[in-house]
Amino acid sequence: MDWLFWPLFMFVFTLLIGIISPVSGVGGGVLYVPLATVITPFSVDFIRGAGLVMAVTSALSSVPYLIRKGLANIRIFAIIAPVMVVTSVVGGWVGLWVTNAYPSGKYVIKVLLGAIILLVFFIMILSKRVEFPEVREEERDSISKKLNIWGEYYEPGLDKIVEYTTKNTPIAIVTFAVIGFVAGMFGLGAGWANVPVLNLLMGVPIKVATATSMLIITANAPAIGIYMTKGAILPLIVVPSILGITIGARIGAKVAEIIKPKFVRWLVLAILFIAGVLNIIKGLQGMQVIPPILPGVS
Amino acid sequence: MSKDREIVVDDMGLAFAKTMTIFTIVGVVLMVIPAIAYFMGINQYVSLTEAHKYWNMSASEFWMHVTGKKITGYAWIFNNLDKTDCLSMIGVLILMITPLLSMLAGAVKAKGTYRILLLVASLVFIASILAKSAVVAGAKAGAKAVKAKVGK
Repeated sequence: MDWLFWPLFMFVFTLLIGIISPVSGVGGGVLYVPLATVITPFSVDFIRGAGLVMAVTSALSSVPYLIRKGLANIRIFAIIAPVMVVTSVVGGWVGLWVTNAYPSGKYVIKVLLGAIILLVFFIMILSKRVEFPEVREEERDSISKKLNIWGEYYEPGLDKIVEYTTKNTPIAIVTFAVIGFVAGMFGLGAGWANVPVLNLLMGVPIKVATATSMLIITANAPAIGIYMTKGAILPLIVVPSILGITIGARIGAKVAEIIKPKFVRWLVLAILFIAGVLNIIKGLQGMQVIPPILPGVS
Repeated sequence: MSKDREIVVDDMGLAFAKTMTIFTIVGVVLMVIPAIAYFMGINQYVSLTEAHKYWNMSASEFWMHVTGKKITGYAWIFNNLDKTDCLSMIGVLILMITPLLSMLAGAVKAKGTYRILLLVASLVFIASILAKSAVVAGAKAGAKAVKAKVGK
């Protein structure tokens, strides 16, 4: 029964991530992949596969409710999805190809993953969130006007229905293509990048940006096929992880009402920073670029 | 709540949401129930003790050690549906295609450009799943297995 420890560990680990996620506003995948890569004995292939299934399943579970509330915008999704679907698959394939084609591939992936995590860390520190960005009629681009991209939702804070529209759609499409590639390659989900693009670049209210980000994450689903066809999805990792994060997220939603979000945000930032640095060190160690500092490189 | 009117959600959005709800539940149930049987040691394709030995290796090395062959395509799942771990993968497959089914449901209710966009997104989605010959490789393996059976 030696095998039993790690699936149980994954359940408890993802339960904790599930609790932290709704409180901090950070998607589960972005914490799961870098931490599991450092802590657990599983190959990075299996962790990325599980991370992707987890990110997509979490999104699938919450999106229907968010659409009905007017928070997740299907018009924005319809424009972004075709691009992101393609790039997420290409990313997933490139990630597995690097791991398998080169003897040091898995270490290269660890270094790149660490770099991406540090990038997320800096984006989170530097990006400002605009609760209700204003998009003037003259700021709207031709795509936004032609396709009449708009939406509305009830904002309890203001006790009124908020209407919104978008700007900078062409630049946003290109940016989402890059995000899709990174999400597919590292199995990260992409909430950390989707939200600032929707909120700051396209001018969507922050609540709509967060909800639409979840909808956009579902477009990464075909990348699951890439991992599956390479045998990189194992039920003994995926199933405890999904159960853990699903239960954890429900607890987290309750905890979010009582805990100070600022404290959790800094806790998450610290975790991300440490995970990023550890991944880079482990990768460089495995590539023998630096002498052994950390034990147990795998 | 003092909303002076109900918020407007597109019909395409509502159809999308309804389809997503149904297939997500189906996918999760079909993934978890066989996985429970797998953890109980019932009819496994890869035994848990074998998996434990090699799960630190890359996916390709893992499968070489565990089954002695390389995994490509979906054939390893469809050829072993009597095994609980492979059956659990059907749930994951359903979760994978749930956004596609939702987009198609949305497209039925959508009008004008949005219908075209959702159909294009659906086609791209299908093409992406077929990309890298994943299904082709699976189909080839399946065809090989069928030929072998017919040969016998």
